[in-house]
Amino acid sequence: MSLGLVAERPRKPGGEATSAAAQRRAKLLAGAFSLLMLAGTCEIVIDASVGHSPLVPKSPSIAKWLGLIGERLGYRVFLIALLVMIGSYAGILLLAANRRVQAISTRWAIALIAVLELIVFIGPILLSTDVFSYIAYARMGVVHGVNPYIDGPHSIFGDPVYKYVGSDWRKVATAYGPIYTLLTYPLAALGVTGALWGAKTQALLASAGTLALTWRCARMRDIDPKLALLIVGANPLYFIYGLGGAHNDLIMTLLMMGGVVLALAGREASAGAAIVVGGLVKATAIVPLPFMILSRRRLAPILGAALAALFGALLALAVFGIHGVDVISALNRDAGFVSTDSFPTEIAHLFGKPGVFPVDHDLLKAALVMIVLYLMWRTWRGYDWVSASGWTLLAIAVTSTWLLAWYTLWTLPLAAVSRDRRLLVATFAVQALFVIHQTSPLLVPVS
Amino acid sequence: MSSSAGASRPGPIGRRLPGWARPLDAERRGSGSLRRAEATIVILFGVLLAVATVNDLVQQTHVNHRLAADLLTWRTLTGHDYVNLDIEQDVKSYTTRDVICGNVSPGAPGERAQICLRLTGPVIEGKRAVSGGYYLPPKLTDAYRDRYACFGSAASAGLCGLTSQPAGAPPAPALKTGVP
Repeated sequence: MSLGLVAERPRKPGGEATSAAAQRRAKLLAGAFSLLMLAGTCEIVIDASVGHSPLVPKSPSIAKWLGLIGERLGYRVFLIALLVMIGSYAGILLLAANRRVQAISTRWAIALIAVLELIVFIGPILLSTDVFSYIAYARMGVVHGVNPYIDGPHSIFGDPVYKYVGSDWRKVATAYGPIYTLLTYPLAALGVTGALWGAKTQALLASAGTLALTWRCARMRDIDPKLALLIVGANPLYFIYGLGGAHNDLIMTLLMMGGVVLALAGREASAGAAIVVGGLVKATAIVPLPFMILSRRRLAPILGAALAALFGALLALAVFGIHGVDVISALNRDAGFVSTDSFPTEIAHLFGKPGVFPVDHDLLKAALVMIVLYLMWRTWRGYDWVSASGWTLLAIAVTSTWLLAWYTLWTLPLAAVSRDRRLLVATFAVQALFVIHQTSPLLVPVS
Repeated sequence: MSSSAGASRPGPIGRRLPGWARPLDAERRGSGSLRRAEATIVILFGVLLAVATVNDLVQQTHVNHRLAADLLTWRTLTGHDYVNLDIEQDVKSYTTRDVICGNVSPGAPGERAQICLRLTGPVIEGKRAVSGGYYLPPKLTDAYRDRYACFGSAASAGLCGLTSQPAGAPPAPALKTGVP
């Protein structure tokens, strides 16, 4: 069975009874997989609401009422729930891709994703302190009059949000784009709890928008939209890590997918502008722009992008000064970070090195540049620019020495609407390896 | 990847370029060999990533195995079932030597005098051998100048900076070495 692009086989005579039985079985399986996904999500959210877990960052109690029936979330329970959900997700995708049985209706797919996202939305922040950095940067600018592009949250150590900011990020100025920083400014006045709900709402709306655009994009490209929707929306890393952490990557993907849909609709100037605005949320969103320009070979996307960049630069300059425009130094700083989950670190360990060295960073950058140049050449020679953008985002995640679960989500909407199914397989493979790397507490529990 | 005919739409730039460099709206037919070469490279790279991931997972599993044994050894030898223990594992030079510290009496982590054990060797029935150890005053991190009452391998290696225990410190007996 391949994902969604299989032509129907001719039916054998007398196969209708078998087909009805197969249909019933498939529907039962789809129901079971959906229930398992819901159960896994509830388990994680309810147990996380208890707090006092290394998987749940210190946070204001926004979901304590849920924790009344839960237990402290440990690695073992979390990983088992995650693996069950991933298995169910795979099962749901295979059923949805099988055109001979209509196991999952569109309504079912939308309802499943909506319920999964709502469960995560009402729960606590999961697996990351990033959202508190977003709030801290907003409060620095709005409440304390401190430029978040110059100082880190340590400059507001008396602020109520400070104690929730991750210890690694307290002295780090924001690396996010000026549009995102401005989007968070209205949250600053709501207090920490209000801002937290505000950031969660932003993430939820961005996720819903990304899913709607993925659907639209798939339809425009004659790809099964229901399958594309499920690939993104029912992906456990998407809603547990991405939405659970209220990451701004969801806003970035919303604008990126907006740009892709606009380009496919022939509104190329707006497409170029949307992608640049996405880049002004988080720089990675800019990736599709060169591929779109090479594929279209028209002036409109270049002009749209240039105007949006000019507008963004002037806005950043007016509000944040020259530091708000200096994206390169922020990216260079972040490129030096190293996480134990990154593939370069794993490869270094494989070859007996304790970790990555500065020379490795240079080699990785060179490899990434070569990949991008090759993909640009392929796009120039007719390769699908959406797929080329997806491969580039995947290459960025794989060559980055700082890999987090939500970085593997950048590619997902593009892979779901790509005509090159190798991209989807590669994206799933990278996500699978990321999850496998997390499973050591399951193999040898430590208490 | 679409394999439809590569309908060329050479604009003003394209017309001046040689055929192999002209922009195309879609890939040319017969690009299967290129596609196969790309897929092979991606698969080979995927295999490398998979091997590196599994290798890292195995290493992490060994480290966790050791960690669990270290915790059990400390709890068995000291008779304290404390949760928050401070462990320094040597995961870089493969000596299997770890140091694990915890309070000698109930209290918040590091708020009481601490006993630190040096553990080495393989895991035997869920525990590891204690080669020696020392004590630390409350609220101090593990540094040479603050260590006292060294015993076993710590005494023979001269790891204690204090020759006598600080005034008011609780008793600091030498604990039994070997697997408890």
